Amino acid sequence: MHIPDGLIAPQAYLAAAAIAVPCWAYAVKRVSSALDERAIPRLAVLTALAFVLSTIMLPLPGGTSAHLYGMGLLVLVFGLWPAFLAFSLVLALQALLLGAGGITALPVNALTMGLAGGAVVVGARSLLGANTAAWATVFPVWLGVVVAATGLALVLGAQPLLGSDTDGQPLFFPFGPAVTLPVIVLPHMVIGLLEGILTWMVLGVLQARRAAA
Amino acid sequence: MRDRAILLCWLSAVVVITFVHEPRALGGLLLIALVAQGGSAPKIALRALVAVALVNLTVSIAFIVSAWLSGSDWMTFVLRLNLRVFLLALLTFWMIRHVDLARAAAPWPSLQFLIVLALGQIRTFTSLLADYRMAFSSRSPTRPPLRTRFGSAGRQASAMLDKAERQSEELNQGMRARGFFDREFPQ
Repeated sequence: MHIPDGLIAPQAYLAAAAIAVPCWAYAVKRVSSALDERAIPRLAVLTALAFVLSTIMLPLPGGTSAHLYGMGLLVLVFGLWPAFLAFSLVLALQALLLGAGGITALPVNALTMGLAGGAVVVGARSLLGANTAAWATVFPVWLGVVVAATGLALVLGAQPLLGSDTDGQPLFFPFGPAVTLPVIVLPHMVIGLLEGILTWMVLGVLQARRAAA
Repeated sequence: MRDRAILLCWLSAVVVITFVHEPRALGGLLLIALVAQGGSAPKIALRALVAVALVNLTVSIAFIVSAWLSGSDWMTFVLRLNLRVFLLALLTFWMIRHVDLARAAAPWPSLQFLIVLALGQIRTFTSLLADYRMAFSSRSPTRPPLRTRFGSAGRQASAMLDKAERQSEELNQGMRARGFFDREFPQ
């Protein structure tokens, strides 16, 4: 779902950065106050975990596969703010070390996939209370992935409105929401379902291990 | 200092380039960037090309088809998009080649330590994941069914989570034992 550099207008990524920076500052404050001296090692391990989770392949019917998004799992295990911070660090490391995704797209990617997607997972899960059925994990994760994908699709789809030259040619991403919403959101409805099932399986294994320990 | 200066230059260049829309200007900047990289230009250009090829091809082809159907011009946009995205990717791979991220974060010891720790942990987890994958493929002489592959992905993720929780505690104890959290410790 990463957006590379050069497709998003400065008006969009600078506005996203203006929102993301205070969110990152708040997340650092929350994580530091909750974990004190354990904050750095915990965050480092979480970041590494988020990085590696995103390399786990979700098998799809037909022999293909997609990357695990990982945010739902991180949020349900570690909470919204540590997961958001770790996920943002992963995006930064991917952009600065591997050239994957873009640095200008980092605030947009972090806000949609990390914060909005994560907050929806937490919100939907807390609305379901103590329900331990499989769908009570699968549904919030699915919803989080779909909301994140919708956010990215809307940001990309807004680009034609943010700039065109004198001949009416687009300056950045050329297609509006009528194209981006179905193209991005529909596949993520399937990916989100698989990710939800996988998250439920992983949490089940973890709980069983902890109960046995 | 040098790493931070390069990082800052790269970041400024990326922002400035997103304000440039004229294909000839973007082409000129691309040419300058390629010449400035000297002998390493072909290698870096190839990496950048591979990184952007999928997105650029998809968007370009879709735009050409839609412009062809509506009878409008497509050349200016396709040139603008491809030159800009390729130029930005080229500069990013040049920056990656010349910047040590941990050294660039030297004025902020906590951030520097976080980066070093995270990179070390990424290597540990990546190697563990590779072991799991090789073990899974060695146990599967033929391509396993979807259910089995899905189960394997789930077990890989839970093993990573388990390992992360233990690793975090071990790191914390290791840092405490070496006095990292003591105020007088020279960070």
